[in-house]
Amino acid sequence: MAPVANPKTFCLDIKKTNEVLTAPKLMDFRKGTTTLGFVFQGGIIIAVDSRASMGSYIGSATVKKVIEINDFLLGTMAGGAADCSFWERHLNRLCRMHELREKERISVAAASKLLANIFWQYRGQGLSCGTMVAGWDKKGPSLYMVDDNGDRHKGNVFSVGSGSTFAYGVLDTGYSYDLTVEEAVELGRRSIYHATHRDGASGGVVRVYHAGEPSVGRSPVGTWDWKP
Amino acid sequence: MQTSLHFCCLSLKSTDCDQIQFLRLWQHCGRGSMTDSEYSFSLTTFAPSGKLLQIEYALNRVAEGRPALGIKAKNGVVLATEKKVTSPLVDEKTLSKVENLSESVGMVYAGMPADYRVLLRRGRKVAQQYYTTYRELIPVSQIVREEAAIMQEFTQSGGVRPFGVSLMIAGFDDSGPQLFQVDPSGTYFGWKASAIGKNHVNAKSFLEKRYSEDIELEDAIHTAILTLKEGFEEAITADNIEIGIVGADRKFRVLTPAEVQDYLGEVE
Amino acid sequence: MSGLMEYNGSAIVAMAGENCVGIASDTRHGIRQLQTVSCNRQKTFQVTDQCYVGLSGLATDVQTVSQLLNFRMKLFTLREERKMQPRMIGNMIASMLYEKRFGPYFTEPVVAGLDGEHKPYLCTFDFIGCLSTAEDFVVSGTTAEQLFGVCESFWRPGMNKDELFETLSQCLLSAADRDCLAGWGGVVHIITPDEIITKKLKGRMD
Repeated sequence: MAPVANPKTFCLDIKKTNEVLTAPKLMDFRKGTTTLGFVFQGGIIIAVDSRASMGSYIGSATVKKVIEINDFLLGTMAGGAADCSFWERHLNRLCRMHELREKERISVAAASKLLANIFWQYRGQGLSCGTMVAGWDKKGPSLYMVDDNGDRHKGNVFSVGSGSTFAYGVLDTGYSYDLTVEEAVELGRRSIYHATHRDGASGGVVRVYHAGEPSVGRSPVGTWDWKP
Repeated sequence: MQTSLHFCCLSLKSTDCDQIQFLRLWQHCGRGSMTDSEYSFSLTTFAPSGKLLQIEYALNRVAEGRPALGIKAKNGVVLATEKKVTSPLVDEKTLSKVENLSESVGMVYAGMPADYRVLLRRGRKVAQQYYTTYRELIPVSQIVREEAAIMQEFTQSGGVRPFGVSLMIAGFDDSGPQLFQVDPSGTYFGWKASAIGKNHVNAKSFLEKRYSEDIELEDAIHTAILTLKEGFEEAITADNIEIGIVGADRKFRVLTPAEVQDYLGEVE
Repeated sequence: MSGLMEYNGSAIVAMAGENCVGIASDTRHGIRQLQTVSCNRQKTFQVTDQCYVGLSGLATDVQTVSQLLNFRMKLFTLREERKMQPRMIGNMIASMLYEKRFGPYFTEPVVAGLDGEHKPYLCTFDFIGCLSTAEDFVVSGTTAEQLFGVCESFWRPGMNKDELFETLSQCLLSAADRDCLAGWGGVVHIITPDEIITKKLKGRMD
């Protein structure tokens, strides 16, 4: 805990500009991103960009924004890089613990709920995360969006990040549950591609994952870069 | 009531500065018996013949003034003028007629000294404004244009009279040495040599005979002195004439009485 | 500096070579910083046959200032019947910007041109008209820091027009690739005593 009078509001307090001992921009680690995921007849498609920005500076163009929680679960990251990667790796550990204790894999619903509960616990303290948890369990494929407010939604089509509106535009136009795997991969790729064009904070390469039955891919089915 | 409406209309289009002036006028109107026509009509009004008599009168005033002249040489320009005073008790050292407008431009006049000071002050301001904007000395043609614009304005504005002076402006810029004459009407011309003031017709014909295209500055100074001498009623001295020169160094300066004395010696 | 300086995004760089000078800019037009709305926004403007002005910053002010400059240049040539030298243009811009000291244009201009002796002249300004000249290169816009870095590394004295073009282009593209708000293509002008070479650059579109 921060050694201050009110540790719970420490992160918010240092953002203030009118008091002494503040650092207004220190905690502004906005990370522009476009991530998307959708469920279709062939499973789940997850597609992300790879840009990490610090303000308007491009810190990296080759970031991995998909975390392979286990053979059956994928997580995406948008928001603060440290917050996302730390808590998703923490989720990774919790899922493994569940598996060891219960002798069966955790469901997507439960995994996403674990993450949502963490975010709920830290609500109002400045975490910055917009994540999707996707994967397969006994009931089949499912996709959840979990954010730093503790919100958790189940759905078939999600996009998260600063470029999400652009991605939705392409995604909603092209989406159908009956897409073939090739069509679905192409749709994911194209959605991110257009989002990186319109959104200044998204860019780099497009990574597309296909989570098909019975296990999800541990690596992307494709990585596409811009050709100048 | 009519008057007040008229001024309200004016103020609508006005800047802040004009509005202050408007208020002054307003107060004035309230107190005095001024009518519209006295403000809105220029003193310079066309005569039925098409002449602007006020300008002609101004020219007459100039033609009565102490002579001044300028000669453009190959490598510079000289301005010269008579500086006779009305009484032997006047201290000539406090009197100067040739003045700098900028570092490289100088000016002399024939006519009313007080009017000249106004043009001098406005010209210097214009030169300085040009310098602050562009960090470069104002070209002779531009300062001449500005001076002429001011003089023209005074032939068309209400409540003013034309300037009772003609100007000779000399300078050296990227286009070489230059000499201009500006008249009360605001017209101006570039000259190789010209004269204004009393006897200017004679002085000009004298210059016409003496002038040659490839004259050197030193010779031009001599010619200037000789031209002045033509119309001089008494003995010419270093104290009753004034000379300003600008050479290829682009520095316009007024010669000291000692320097003038040297030139007078050379001429004799 | 104001947030308006980053509202539209821009990258401008100018460099001196041997008897030549070059100016390059990106072409992105963003709004609200991150939203890219077009890829052909003009940021460099020809003011005389031997001088260009680059205007970074708020797009609306860039357009206004470029029109104002155009107006002043035309008025000057009509009045004085001569061409303004780059140095003079620089000083004029400085006074134009300071005129609006308490209600400024949110643009930081760059001047690049050849003077009467074919010598390169480069200068930049802050948005209220503090002029600073340079012998090697000048940068401006949201990508300024990145541009400083690459230019500091790749500029060398005595470049000919081809070398200048290559250096300028590579510096612009590499720098813009590290800025979210600039890039999406570029344009380069090389000013030589005999000709002006203008080329469009393809860049990453993300």
